[in-house]
Amino acid sequence: GQQASPFVLRARRALDKGGLPWHLRYLGQPEIGDKSRHALVRNCVDIATSDNLTDFLVEMGFRMDHEFVAKGHVFRKGIMKIVVYKIFRILMPGNTDSIEPLSLSYLVELNVVAPAGQDVVSDDMRNFAEQLKPLVHLEKIDPKRLM
Amino acid sequence: VAQVPVAEGKSVQQTVELLTRKLELLGADKQGAFCVDCETYHTAAATMGAQGQTGKLMYVMHNSEYPLSCFALFENGPCLIADANFDILMVKLKGFFQNAKANKIESRGTRYQYCDFLVKVGTVTMGPSARGIAVEVEYCPCVIANDCWNLLMEFMQSFMGSHTPGIPSVFGTKHDSIYSPADTMVQYMELFNKIRKQQQVPVAGIR
Repeated sequence: GQQASPFVLRARRALDKGGLPWHLRYLGQPEIGDKSRHALVRNCVDIATSDNLTDFLVEMGFRMDHEFVAKGHVFRKGIMKIVVYKIFRILMPGNTDSIEPLSLSYLVELNVVAPAGQDVVSDDMRNFAEQLKPLVHLEKIDPKRLM
Repeated sequence: VAQVPVAEGKSVQQTVELLTRKLELLGADKQGAFCVDCETYHTAAATMGAQGQTGKLMYVMHNSEYPLSCFALFENGPCLIADANFDILMVKLKGFFQNAKANKIESRGTRYQYCDFLVKVGTVTMGPSARGIAVEVEYCPCVIANDCWNLLMEFMQSFMGSHTPGIPSVFGTKHDSIYSPADTMVQYMELFNKIRKQQQVPVAGIR
């Protein structure tokens, strides 16, 4: 039968450094009571894996929805991670050497991985986001709007 | 990894004792305990849909030798090595993959070191019942199976005698490739599957 919403997993690997494990991430639905928080909060499971991850996911019954290359810079402030990157479209599936930028703009993303229940972290994020104005306006994203 | 049959007229435990005594006489040192376990997941009926796919079996295994890792594999398919969070992911995926809890099987026993060899003699159990014996032998300095198979075989004969196995099929096609822990897990999966299919050792006094 049809599932209400598909189960999404994200597989990621470093292109600039060889020999590192692949990274698999599960992100759950936004938590209830999320509207009052300044940042989007979701359950997160991170798993390091061997490099046959994509073959294995296909064997499990997953199919690739989309892929892209991200290039940019990572900054840290305590447990906050700020990533400034450009997204590149992959012209031939699986070939990361042939890519073109999706846009000339950079995307700025602020995220934190924290133990469950530490909601106060979203206040720290909002305070940091304020400091980046007017250069960057960081907004809480609504994942449903993007699907 | 090889299965050793239960000795004639003896129990699983007695046969394990015979093996471990031979190892100790050779001069092997006891070095703690070990455990290798295997859980079976099958694709939930709801996800088969109209595609008419036959359900797949996925095995999720753990090995005390690699305590921070989890091994996920399909028979004749890829073996994924992941960190322990993979078990948490399987809980999230329970709508798609169901854990056949009754199928959980494990090999548990003592670890022995003899010079450069590591030997594990395990009692294989499924639930409360002992179903067989699994012996794992590793020659630690070597990473290419073909280069040390003869040496491994000679060592195994010294305590397994006629129960010494032939070269495992996992090394069959890739003679010179570098050993990976996944190669050990595939052998355990095959051994566990074989034991599951075997008749349970009949218990005396069945009415």
